Amino acid sequence: MDLAQARKIVEEALSGIEARVEEGRGFIEFIVSKENLVEAASRLKKAGFDHVKSLTVVDYKAEGKFKIVYYVSSYLNEDLAGVIVGIGTEVPRDNPKMPTLVYVWRSAEFQEREVFEFFGIDFEDHPDLRLLLLTPQVAEKRPLRKDFIVKEEPIIRTTPPTG
Amino acid sequence: MEGNGGNGGRVYVGNLDKSAKKAKQLVMGKLRIGKAVDWATAFSLWPVHLTTSCCGCEFAATWSPRFDAEQHGALPWVGARQTNMILIEGTVTKKMACAVRVTWEQMPSPKFAIAMGACAIDGGIFYNSYNIVRPWEIIPVDVYIPGCPPRPEAVARAIIELQRKIRKQRVVSKWIEEGWRPDKEYVKPKEDPCSWWRG
Ligand code: SF4
Repeated sequence: MDLAQARKIVEEALSGIEARVEEGRGFIEFIVSKENLVEAASRLKKAGFDHVKSLTVVDYKAEGKFKIVYYVSSYLNEDLAGVIVGIGTEVPRDNPKMPTLVYVWRSAEFQEREVFEFFGIDFEDHPDLRLLLLTPQVAEKRPLRKDFIVKEEPIIRTTPPTG
Repeated sequence: MEGNGGNGGRVYVGNLDKSAKKAKQLVMGKLRIGKAVDWATAFSLWPVHLTTSCCGCEFAATWSPRFDAEQHGALPWVGARQTNMILIEGTVTKKMACAVRVTWEQMPSPKFAIAMGACAIDGGIFYNSYNIVRPWEIIPVDVYIPGCPPRPEAVARAIIELQRKIRKQRVVSKWIEEGWRPDKEYVKPKEDPCSWWRG
């Protein structure tokens, strides 16, 4: 199955839900509104996408929003196993709250915890939203947001070499 | 008080602390057990299984049949209380620092530390990361191994270097005589690495 076919399947499954489609190389993303996310996700699950491969967040600082995309695929359905489809949403940067998809895909649990500590995005109704990798002091700084600046040492020589 | 036990042996009676000290001096000094202790410890450096980072792969390779670090008398062991060496493999994250320190405190002395990889020396490629600590801030390190990651031969070399250090400087026997380690400061972390956990 190629992406065009997968796109058709997903569009059929999501019929009635407004979605913005973004095509990348080798994958395709459907961005829906925050309210429709759980509904859209459960429809995708019914269509055969049974696990979350990865969960990405992009911080659009200038536009003041986070884009959160769940990349899903299938183990059991051999046709779908070859494609990766993204289902995601956008939340405002100053109040990043969104519904959790743990109850749709169990495999999203730890990835949502990671997103929570690195970006400070609050997943409502998440069963176990604790810190995973960071200590509380570090997680407070939300280290993967764009406004967290990591200082770099200057490694470029500023004086001409002698001799 | 000293009594003669016949056949050249000795029996110490009286104040227990004083007698123990005298017995120690006799054994370590006159009978030259110290040398044997140094020798024996040098050839039984057992590192604890505590893998902090990617250098752990090279750590595994070092003890694999091809490089066979067991020929130097070192054998990785699981329980911290049965080991006397810790091999820091690369980066130590803030959370792992707690595990390193707790493991170090559980190990019986005399104990030694080897820091492996550029990360363990001064951060390596993560030198400006927000989530790492330098191993020498947590435990006293005896030997550093540069490289990213170091080859297994380099790890084996570090073990030999540590053995040489123990035997040449008589680290262990002095440690036992004095009750503390004379050639290395006891490192106390500036801030408690486990504070996030103790709350
Ligand atoms: S020195 Fe290199 S291999 Fe070792 S932990 Fe650091 S990055 Fe990994």
